[in-house]
Amino acid sequence: MTNARGRALRRTAVGYGLLAPSMIGIGLFLIIPVLVAIAVSFDSWNIISPPKWLGPQNYISVLTDPDVWHSFLVTAQYTLLVIPTQTILGLGLAVLLSKRLPGTPVFRVIFALPWICAPLTLGIVWKWVFAPTGGLLNAIIGTRVEWLTDFSLALPAVSFVSVWTQTGYVALFYLAGLSGVPKDIQDAARVDGAGEVGVFWRITMPLLRPTTFFVLATSIISSFQVFDTVYAMTGGGPGAPGRTDVIAHRIYSLAFEQLDLGKASALSVILMIGLIVLTVLQQVYFRRRITYDVAN
Amino acid sequence: MATNPYRPLSRGPVRRIGSTVLIYAVLIFGAVIILTPFLLSFMTGLKSPVQFSNTSSLSLPSPITWANFQELFGPDHNFISPIAVTVQMTVVILVVQLSCSILAAYAFARLSFPGRDIIFWAYLATMMIPAVTTIVPLYGMFTAAGLRNTFWALVLPTLFGSPYAIFLLREYFRGVPDDLEAAARIDGCGTLRVLWYVVIPYSRPIIATLTVITVVSHWNNFLWPRVITSGPDWAVLTVATADLQSQYNGNWTLVMAATTLALLPLIVIYLIFQRQIVNSISIGGFK
Amino acid sequence: MSQPLSFNRRKALGILGAGSAGALLAACSPSQQADQGNSGGNSTGGSGDKVTISFRLWDDQVQKAYQKAFTEFTKQNPDIEVKTNLVPWANYWTQLPVDVGSGAIDDLFWTNSSNFQQYADAGKISDVNSLLGSIDDAWVKPVVDQYTYKDKLWGIPQIADANGIFYNKSIISDVDPKIISRIGKLKWRPGAGSGDNLLSTLKMLTVDKNGKAATDAGFDGKNIKTYGYNAAYDLQAIYFPFIGSNGGRWQQGNGSNKFVFGSDPKTVQAFEYIVDLINKYHVAPSAADTNDNGDFSLNQFLQGHMAIFQSGTYNLANISDGAKFDWAIARNPAGTAGSFGVASGVVVAASAATKNTDAVKKLLRFLGSADGNKFIGESGSALPAVSTAQSSWVDFWKAKNIDVQAFVDAANGDTIPAPLGTGGSASSDAYDPILKEIFLGRTPVKSGLAQAEAKANAAIGH
Repeated sequence: MTNARGRALRRTAVGYGLLAPSMIGIGLFLIIPVLVAIAVSFDSWNIISPPKWLGPQNYISVLTDPDVWHSFLVTAQYTLLVIPTQTILGLGLAVLLSKRLPGTPVFRVIFALPWICAPLTLGIVWKWVFAPTGGLLNAIIGTRVEWLTDFSLALPAVSFVSVWTQTGYVALFYLAGLSGVPKDIQDAARVDGAGEVGVFWRITMPLLRPTTFFVLATSIISSFQVFDTVYAMTGGGPGAPGRTDVIAHRIYSLAFEQLDLGKASALSVILMIGLIVLTVLQQVYFRRRITYDVAN
Repeated sequence: MATNPYRPLSRGPVRRIGSTVLIYAVLIFGAVIILTPFLLSFMTGLKSPVQFSNTSSLSLPSPITWANFQELFGPDHNFISPIAVTVQMTVVILVVQLSCSILAAYAFARLSFPGRDIIFWAYLATMMIPAVTTIVPLYGMFTAAGLRNTFWALVLPTLFGSPYAIFLLREYFRGVPDDLEAAARIDGCGTLRVLWYVVIPYSRPIIATLTVITVVSHWNNFLWPRVITSGPDWAVLTVATADLQSQYNGNWTLVMAATTLALLPLIVIYLIFQRQIVNSISIGGFK
Repeated sequence: MSQPLSFNRRKALGILGAGSAGALLAACSPSQQADQGNSGGNSTGGSGDKVTISFRLWDDQVQKAYQKAFTEFTKQNPDIEVKTNLVPWANYWTQLPVDVGSGAIDDLFWTNSSNFQQYADAGKISDVNSLLGSIDDAWVKPVVDQYTYKDKLWGIPQIADANGIFYNKSIISDVDPKIISRIGKLKWRPGAGSGDNLLSTLKMLTVDKNGKAATDAGFDGKNIKTYGYNAAYDLQAIYFPFIGSNGGRWQQGNGSNKFVFGSDPKTVQAFEYIVDLINKYHVAPSAADTNDNGDFSLNQFLQGHMAIFQSGTYNLANISDGAKFDWAIARNPAGTAGSFGVASGVVVAASAATKNTDAVKKLLRFLGSADGNKFIGESGSALPAVSTAQSSWVDFWKAKNIDVQAFVDAANGDTIPAPLGTGGSASSDAYDPILKEIFLGRTPVKSGLAQAEAKANAAIGH
């Protein structure tokens, strides 16, 4: 009895011992700054002078600002454009690469290039590609399209660049997921007369659900925080309010351009809460549907 | 590339060749779209500033000049220093962060103790914290501690483990066969020895993957180094590249040369680890 | 897959680990100076010892000139050393408030007119009157006016920007050599009314892909080969000079930053004229090209696709380095109020947190004198703001066979004040997207400006 308790105690001590470094790091450099940010969100602060207590005013003015809601809408539109596209393309790319045809390693390196490169400079190069006069894209299609200043084309153009950047990254995870799908189950299905398409939809896809959850959860989180590509390509424009003025761009501009740290913090706290709710909802949805457990 | 013995007979070789051609066509089409912007930026790095401003951005560099690369290492920009700082920063973060993440992931994956699940979900929740939220408070903390513009400031915030790495490692560690670990325990191995001799060797692929992801994300990190360092002493590559631009001169040829330069080590790292990567990521159900 | 690590790999890992531990203890930066002076931090106050003053600025060319000036200064004051701290433009206005707020700011730093008031209000910079006791008459007056706030001057003038037009002589003489003589005397009138010769000149100079000039029937304004002019959403080069030369105002002035650009009819006329040049007469590039690409017009001019490029001293070096054709400089087109430039100078402000007030005063006196300011002119990088030092700049360009007299005339001519701000870009973030729409021709000038003015005023609490 005491022996078992002693062992449980020991296990607990070892567990917390192993967690100690990361708990210190995450506590000190993530949790405390977030608590500070929450405190600042109730202040009026321009960085230069000391913060002054303001109460919930920042939250009220942020939540009643139609431009903020516009930014949430743009971010949602962006997410809807980017996430399904890059997930489907990434999955498709992974399927093609998993065939291990000759030359596959070369393609794997090529498709990794966009996500290993710094996003800010890529945004600038893409701006040249989309330039109305002298841009590569218009030179190819032979007509003048003003991609980044057109109300209906700007967001799709920015989304395209995001998809271009991240498809290889998504494919990486699906490639790994595909290699974990047991061949014998697929083969058994083929023996039972299922076609390739049937095997893919009925066997492979359900087995990839955990991968899909991970890919969706992390890419939705990052798409709600997209900043670099927008900053480099459109600066939030065109129009007022801007057709590509995503929420992270608004927070950045509030904090570092308009020097309104209180409002910026309030908005980022709202964004954080929104993301946590969104991820929990996804988790609930997927948990009901994950029927196979690949890892175990 | 073993042929599948169970492949239905109706799929003849003609059809297979057809689909192979189609696969290559799709891959090549994708590769062209991927490579074009990189070629554009590489080309720009090989142009002189006068050539760049006097001709279309699409025209080929003629003559090709390496002057931009030379200038990067000249006295005005001295890119040796940012490269050295970036390499040191990336290596230190990689080794320490990965070690701390491995310890935490092992605890989450293979030990059971009270509070484990709550802490794990708390870790996951921190992945949802937008970087812009924490940057100003962090700046305040580091300035108060007198660590502004030091090497410590560059590495400390991400040194002690990343929730993202911990999550991926945990999923992989859960797949380590129980008997492997039990055998080591019977031989008298303590937790750390089990980690070193059993879990880590078994998990080489995921560690290779995280190595690439960690190196890439810190090599390319911009906002934090930008804010917390100033002047040439601790400027990292991304900051030094951005600093090439002045108010009235974009210096695009230099910037693109620097971008090309910064990308090369990452390609090398990817090539080294890419064989390991595919079998690495094991994402199980969520319980 | 599951075999243990081979010995070699383990050793390699160990070495990597040991190496990183070593790096943590002794990470080194090759560019770290031997003296370990931290650029950007407060310099250490020394009693009797050498004092080091740090100086923050954003321009690497002017930095070189300052380094020469500081060598000279240290020769005269052996106990004071000055270190420059370059924070590039792209990051300058993000970093400055953060550093000033935390106290980690240099003793002296450059500022522009839209950013200094907030530091004055917060008591973070010292005014020149109380530091030096007096204002020097040699300081260029528009710059002094620009930085005078609450009856005090908040920085020592260092650089005075001047406006003018660069014109491509070969394009113009190909069209008609007689136009050259007209370039320095161009006039514009609201609605291109009587007395206007700018529009007709630009129409002659603008040529489409088929070789038709904008004066010809069948001119294709969507496909232009040679632009006449760079009318664009560009504050310093284009719309401020046009507002000024029509007698319009941007802000209320007299101590108020309230925006009046949408309600002042003369300002509205100026915008209407510029927007018509772009969207009605097509003698300038489309705003889709220029709104988000500040280099577009400069590159078109350098590529020989633009006849007249209106800009300022700040592009002189770019054009001198890049232009492979015959070019010259002239004054801006004159409106009803004359030819106008923008009074936009750069001053050096003194941090109130400095521990070396005496050394700072000595250095400021030096920088405000012709002897100290002339180094900027001698480098050719910018026009000195101490008028008695300006000849050094003219001489530099004369040696390169470039006549910059038009710029000197402009610097001492009529100017409209650059925007004044109490910090942050709340107001410009409010009006900027609307103005871009106006230039794209999607929002009517008059109602758009009124809306932009209201939003900008709301953003600064007016």
